[in-house]
Amino acid sequence: MAGNFWQSSHYQQWLLDKQDLIRERQSDLKVLSEEDYQKIMIFFANFIQALGEQLKVRQQVIATATVYFKRFYARNSLKSIDPWLMAPTCIFLASKVEEFGVISNSRLVSTCQTVVKNKFSHAYPQEYPYRISNVLECEFYLLEMMDCCLVVYHPYRPLTQFVSDFSNTDDTILAVAWRIVNDSLRTDVCLLYPPYMIALAALHIACVIQQKDLKSWFAELSVDMDKILEITKQILKLYELWKNYDEKKEISAVLNNMPKARTSPTPPPNQGPSDGTQMSQTSQST
Amino acid sequence: MQKYEKLEKIGEGTYGTVFKAKNRETQEVVALKRVRLDDDDEGVPSSALREICLLKELRHRNIVRLHDVLHSEKKLTLVFEYSDQDLKKYFDTCNGEIDSDTVKSFMFQLLQGLAFCHRNNVLHRDLKPQNLLINKNGELKLADFGLARAFGIPVRFYSAEVVTLWYRPPDVLFGAKMYSTSIDMWSAGCIFAEMANAGRPLFPGNDVDDQLKRIFKLLGTPTEESWPGLTQLPDYKAYQIYHVTTTWQQVVPRLNSKGRELLQKLLVCNPSERLSAEDGLAHSYFADLSPAIKFPDGPQSALVR
Repeated sequence: MAGNFWQSSHYQQWLLDKQDLIRERQSDLKVLSEEDYQKIMIFFANFIQALGEQLKVRQQVIATATVYFKRFYARNSLKSIDPWLMAPTCIFLASKVEEFGVISNSRLVSTCQTVVKNKFSHAYPQEYPYRISNVLECEFYLLEMMDCCLVVYHPYRPLTQFVSDFSNTDDTILAVAWRIVNDSLRTDVCLLYPPYMIALAALHIACVIQQKDLKSWFAELSVDMDKILEITKQILKLYELWKNYDEKKEISAVLNNMPKARTSPTPPPNQGPSDGTQMSQTSQST
Repeated sequence: MQKYEKLEKIGEGTYGTVFKAKNRETQEVVALKRVRLDDDDEGVPSSALREICLLKELRHRNIVRLHDVLHSEKKLTLVFEYSDQDLKKYFDTCNGEIDSDTVKSFMFQLLQGLAFCHRNNVLHRDLKPQNLLINKNGELKLADFGLARAFGIPVRFYSAEVVTLWYRPPDVLFGAKMYSTSIDMWSAGCIFAEMANAGRPLFPGNDVDDQLKRIFKLLGTPTEESWPGLTQLPDYKAYQIYHVTTTWQQVVPRLNSKGRELLQKLLVCNPSERLSAEDGLAHSYFADLSPAIKFPDGPQSALVR
């Protein structure tokens, strides 16, 4: 939706404070190191990306799904709902919200099975356990936990506008910055900063990579450059982490330490008490 | 659900039953829209999601407020502000007589709501008297956004078959897939005429063919000259050339000349020439509208809006 960001639920309810974010994560961080936590979030963002690509949804849907995923775990422990279930649920909901159309139940589940088997067997050697009834139930928790704030603003549109502002010929810089925006979904920045700032930070990094001098253009913007630099730092930290990290080799050990949901992977379709344990993790919306 | 006491069933919406209810604590009367969740289906229905999405973002006095979304085991209930009636029911109670100031006030509020939606890149797509709520203070609010969608880049094809036939513009009747805010402006024009005639619908067509004939009989059959691109529309077919024989004074006898001029600017077959909501609000028909309606928050904040 191309409404007004400053009046949006994204701005009003879902730009979080860094300290709050850290506090909410405390229970998971008792078990996991901060770096392992980030690796897990990166891993599931990759899983969402792979599912989205296999389902041939637009990047917008993938980005929205990733933000939903991050919003959920920004307020809940990893053990409240298994991220292996949450990931396809986010794609399912985002696809409806972004009006890409409804992904059929059977296709969603079979895609999960295929993608896990072909691309993620190093992390999940078993067969993908969840069924559509699990996804529909999970969708419900997700909606509630997000307080039905479904419209997500992304940096892509402001990025395109910024680039066209200083050049209508330079496609390389847009392409590089676009990929950096995609990468930024593997960090917390989408939970912390307005999308136009993330776009500027991506542009800033892209300029450095492309050795393009936009100092005067940046200087004319009336933005808080300190915040842009904070975002830049977080994205660069991600690249730093990636340098010495082989996800294929290492993720399985990290996932083993992940706090697990107490509910069994395939709860009976009409479970009474296990419902309650999951609910207790999600805060009642007002 | 204990928070609300159900009072009575109001109707069936696009995706569920609507109840009148009272907040047990505050005594506030609300409308509850229960969303049916078909277990083996698409989960939360897209139409309900669309309405939740948009109303969560749109806040305006002429758009129905979504107070809350209640979750109870496998049920979603949307809590809306309550309005006493909709415009259709309002027509039923006014016995063929409607005050011209009321018409002006309702039309202004309709355009205000639409201008706000359109500024936020939201199309309603299903405007009709049943979707316009009227409360006892004479406030009009746009409701039922189940078919509404946000638009923006990239422009994709929107699904056809969305507007109730009577309020559907000729471009959509001819199968146009790339419509814009102009779709709502046509509907607003039809509703304007219906209000001016105290509830007699302007184009009560029985099917697409009949609908188009009724429109062309009043406005004249459009041509490639008056509407470039007309013949390229997916479902275009040539219609008999009707010449305008009815005057606007005959169509809306109780509407003054300025009102008739506004109406004519809305009911233009070529969508690109239809008046926008924003321009409609600036029309001289509203020049003598009571300031209480024009600037409900006082002149200063109305300027900011």
